[in-house]
Amino acid sequence: METLIEFFSFKYPNIKYVLFGSVLLAVSSAIVGCFTFLKKKALVGDVVSHAVLPGICLGYLFSTNTLGLTDKNPIILLLGAFATGWLSIVVIDNIVKKTKLKEDTANGLALSVFFGIGILLMTFIQKQGGSSQSGLDSFLFGKAASLVGEDLIVFAVISVILMIAVLFLFKEFTLISFDTAFATAIGFPVKGLNLALTTLTVLAVVTGIQAVGVVLMAAMLITPAAAARFWTDDLRKMIIIAAVFGAFSGTAGAYISYIAPSMPTGPWIVMILSIIALASFFFSPGKGILFKILKRRRIQKLILEENILKLFFQLGEKGKDFREPRTIDEITHKRAFKLQQLNKGLQTLKRQGYLIDSGKGWKLTEEGFVKGKRVLKLHRLWEVYLTQYLRIAPDHVHDDAERIEHIITPELEKKLEMLLEFPDRDPHESEIPY
Amino acid sequence: MNEQIENAAVEIHDLSVSYDRKPVLWGIDLTIPEGSLVGIVGPNGAGKSTLIKAVMGLIPLNSGYAKIFGKDLDDSRHQVSYVPQRESVDWDFPTSAKEVVLMGRYKKIGLFRRPRKADVDVAMSALESVGMTPFANRQISQLSGGQQQRVFLARALAQQADVYFMDEPFAGVDAATEKAIFNILKEMSTQGKTVIVVHHDLQSVGKYFDWLILLNLRLVASGKTENVFKRELLEEAYGGKLTLLSEVGELIKKEEFPGREK
Repeated sequence: METLIEFFSFKYPNIKYVLFGSVLLAVSSAIVGCFTFLKKKALVGDVVSHAVLPGICLGYLFSTNTLGLTDKNPIILLLGAFATGWLSIVVIDNIVKKTKLKEDTANGLALSVFFGIGILLMTFIQKQGGSSQSGLDSFLFGKAASLVGEDLIVFAVISVILMIAVLFLFKEFTLISFDTAFATAIGFPVKGLNLALTTLTVLAVVTGIQAVGVVLMAAMLITPAAAARFWTDDLRKMIIIAAVFGAFSGTAGAYISYIAPSMPTGPWIVMILSIIALASFFFSPGKGILFKILKRRRIQKLILEENILKLFFQLGEKGKDFREPRTIDEITHKRAFKLQQLNKGLQTLKRQGYLIDSGKGWKLTEEGFVKGKRVLKLHRLWEVYLTQYLRIAPDHVHDDAERIEHIITPELEKKLEMLLEFPDRDPHESEIPY
Repeated sequence: MNEQIENAAVEIHDLSVSYDRKPVLWGIDLTIPEGSLVGIVGPNGAGKSTLIKAVMGLIPLNSGYAKIFGKDLDDSRHQVSYVPQRESVDWDFPTSAKEVVLMGRYKKIGLFRRPRKADVDVAMSALESVGMTPFANRQISQLSGGQQQRVFLARALAQQADVYFMDEPFAGVDAATEKAIFNILKEMSTQGKTVIVVHHDLQSVGKYFDWLILLNLRLVASGKTENVFKRELLEEAYGGKLTLLSEVGELIKKEEFPGREK
């Protein structure tokens, strides 16, 4: 707790730089990443982040050899990064347009060639020596802790540009992500807008690279968007959620590296983003895996209960003694329930007021009787429907009806009855109860 | 059989188009009268969709031009609406039916600006005319194929254009939706709008359209339905490709022959 207060009191300027730097870059890449994600260009982020490396090295060489600076100038490095990052996208577009190669191949080519050149240049610089080259390899894996006030200003400016651009071009970016043909047809400058979006992507990558490095940068773009997509079907909310995820992981990453100085900030930001994404994948309502599993469980339970009630009704059909008590043996003799499941189902139905445990056996309540009758009616009506309308042989309709009887809504039930005109008998000559 | 008229809503002149260097439309010449409901009909791969994409400027032309009310497309975009094939977009996109229809207003709203209240009103009434008001806020992946098609139609209506190009609006919809969509198109043409529809169901052609364009890589016929919907013309359009034409096309692709001389 103490460290938390100390952390947020910004006693040390260094903490402030790292914190704000991490948050700014995580938020801006999350926002731009939403469109990259929706345009299905997830790999482009990876290519660009690797392709900025030669630019950084060239920027370094330019500032030390040509300008004769002794210290590396962040702005020149970023300009170099921006140039080669952007060039890689132009290369990809041209490969796809002018050759038979598909986009995945073009991405793979651009990534490895640009990154290869980058490593080449970096090795050259390191062999050359020099006092200021020491920090260069931090671009490879990132070093948020090395952020200084000057970097922060550059970050802030770029982030603000990104956010304003997305705010003003939200409608345009949405349209070109959803329906490019329509955007072209109404005369929107699609090429220009794509160019703007690409530029923003490269900007976001260039900003983030110093903190998380080329290798992890793609995760900063795509992970927040992918996670946010699980929580909403509204693009506006999705962008906000992605930004919040970004901000949270930026803060958490900076905090972790503060309390444990041996922990790197950038990788921790990515780790936390990944945890958020995994959690979204499992736990988000509606789309999450857990939600789907629970839903399936609930349906299976419902089917079991309805089948038990139906069975009680069937047992009474012969002697018209629907409400008589039945023993477990009688029940399992008629239908092969698993004993454990049957007991569970019976208990639930008792709790819900559909069955009573009479001592001599289980029997239907009035409500249970009505419900069991309905399920059996639907079963037999569906069999009639299948034989009449789909011309399926009577001996093939039972299994299908076993499923459908549980899903038919009261509205569909009415429609079915009207359509078939309340038939008395199913295809197997059993009476249909109304 | 090619009926040419004066003061056409759409005029296509000597239009040729290639895909991946292979010519798919050869020298199309035709006119379409204002206020007509037009069917573009032909076998698979005849270039029906390509024709309207070419007119909308979505693919480059080898030669020729298309004019809307005598003007170039760039001067008449506000009068033209385009409905792409339903499968051309990802319906998993995080947006609602209303937002998609609102896209029909984007041209009028202009760049950088947000939709105004009035634009939302237009979008909502467009949704109403296709019977989709109850689904306005539904995420688009939760709509049936027919409903998605109606959303696209509503987006076109929201454009308040004069000429509508629709790429297979009846594809993958049930009979009831097809009838509903047809009634809307009919109503539009009664109001003087020109509606051009790529269609592939010959059964309904005679009933649906008052102007017909028969296509198979070249123009087979264009004119009033009663004059074009004839056995010999249909046989010409559907009776197999012109072998020599196809072979020349393949050759152009193989030899990487340029589309234009210059």
